[in-house]
Amino acid sequence: MNENNLSTISNDAVVLADLGTMIREVIGEEWAEDVPIEMETSFAKDLELESIEFVALAERLKEKFGKGVDFAGWLGSMELEQILQLRVGQLVEFIVRCNSASPTA
Amino acid sequence: MAETVVGGVRLHYQRLGVEGAPLRAVFVHGLVMDNLSSWYFTVANALAAFADVVLYDLRGHGLSERPAQGYREAEMVGDLCGVLDATVGDAPVVLVGNSYGAFLSVRFALRHPDRVAGLVLVDGHLGDSDFGERMAATLSLQGDEADNAIAASFQNWLGRHSARKRTKLGDMARALVNDTTLVRDLRATPPLTAADFERITAPALALYGESSDLLSRSLPVVARMPHCTVRVLPGCTHSILWEATNEVKTRIVDFCREVQP
Repeated sequence: MNENNLSTISNDAVVLADLGTMIREVIGEEWAEDVPIEMETSFAKDLELESIEFVALAERLKEKFGKGVDFAGWLGSMELEQILQLRVGQLVEFIVRCNSASPTA
Repeated sequence: MAETVVGGVRLHYQRLGVEGAPLRAVFVHGLVMDNLSSWYFTVANALAAFADVVLYDLRGHGLSERPAQGYREAEMVGDLCGVLDATVGDAPVVLVGNSYGAFLSVRFALRHPDRVAGLVLVDGHLGDSDFGERMAATLSLQGDEADNAIAASFQNWLGRHSARKRTKLGDMARALVNDTTLVRDLRATPPLTAADFERITAPALALYGESSDLLSRSLPVVARMPHCTVRVLPGCTHSILWEATNEVKTRIVDFCREVQP
């Protein structure tokens, strides 16, 4: 495994951990403290995230990562059915991709 | 979280797109099983490509505060004024309202014609002389009957798929109906009249579902607006935002481009 791969894994893991914290805050209920949030976790099926909670998550992402991570625009480019199928890992990969494209990352 | 306090009530809003753009669009959602996310996930982002876009949660809905009272027309219009003051100021906006949000948008346009550059009315409750009473009757049902009526009347994108019988959205809806003066205030809300619509000079677009139970009553009154285009979407019910999302989006974007200064 070369350095580049290591750095990718580390980025994914760091972003996943940050994202997990944000998702738990947005859900704001006790059961969410213990629920595993992994790359394969589905927002709708596993976490039952409601649509307004998605909006709140988008706002937190903007606060944390700046305008370089345009979550709202990304969601806007998807069909509703795609959003309903969305897994946490897809968002992690999107954030990592935006960060690596940004000159400040 | 972006919030503003209007008349002592904390209101949640989202601002997307190009701040300061000449076209400003404000989205107003429907009652009870609805919040700003309906617009957020359907139309708002497409407009954000060229407009200054504001979405807000009505009092008692979404992430806004749920006061025990204050759901009459005056307070609801006042909330919209307050959100505009906190975001785009007093510059004219295109108001995009769904269902009750369309009713509220017309009410706002009557009170503040100088602040309205255009109106988009999506299957609006516009022609019912007993609007408040009908809404109140649906919301006053109890138990399973209430759940069924609410589910049929107010669709939500995740609500369609959730395995849980009791969703947070459903719990919030029940609290809004049972613990606030919403139903009483709706009963006291006077209907719009044909003469009201004649006073609306802003360009308007009215979209209705072919099978919407609001269609036959609303068409005669929206036609009274001097500059209104009406489109009836085939195969759709009241929930056209979900049943014909892409067509609704395209028509709203096209309308906004036309009225853009």
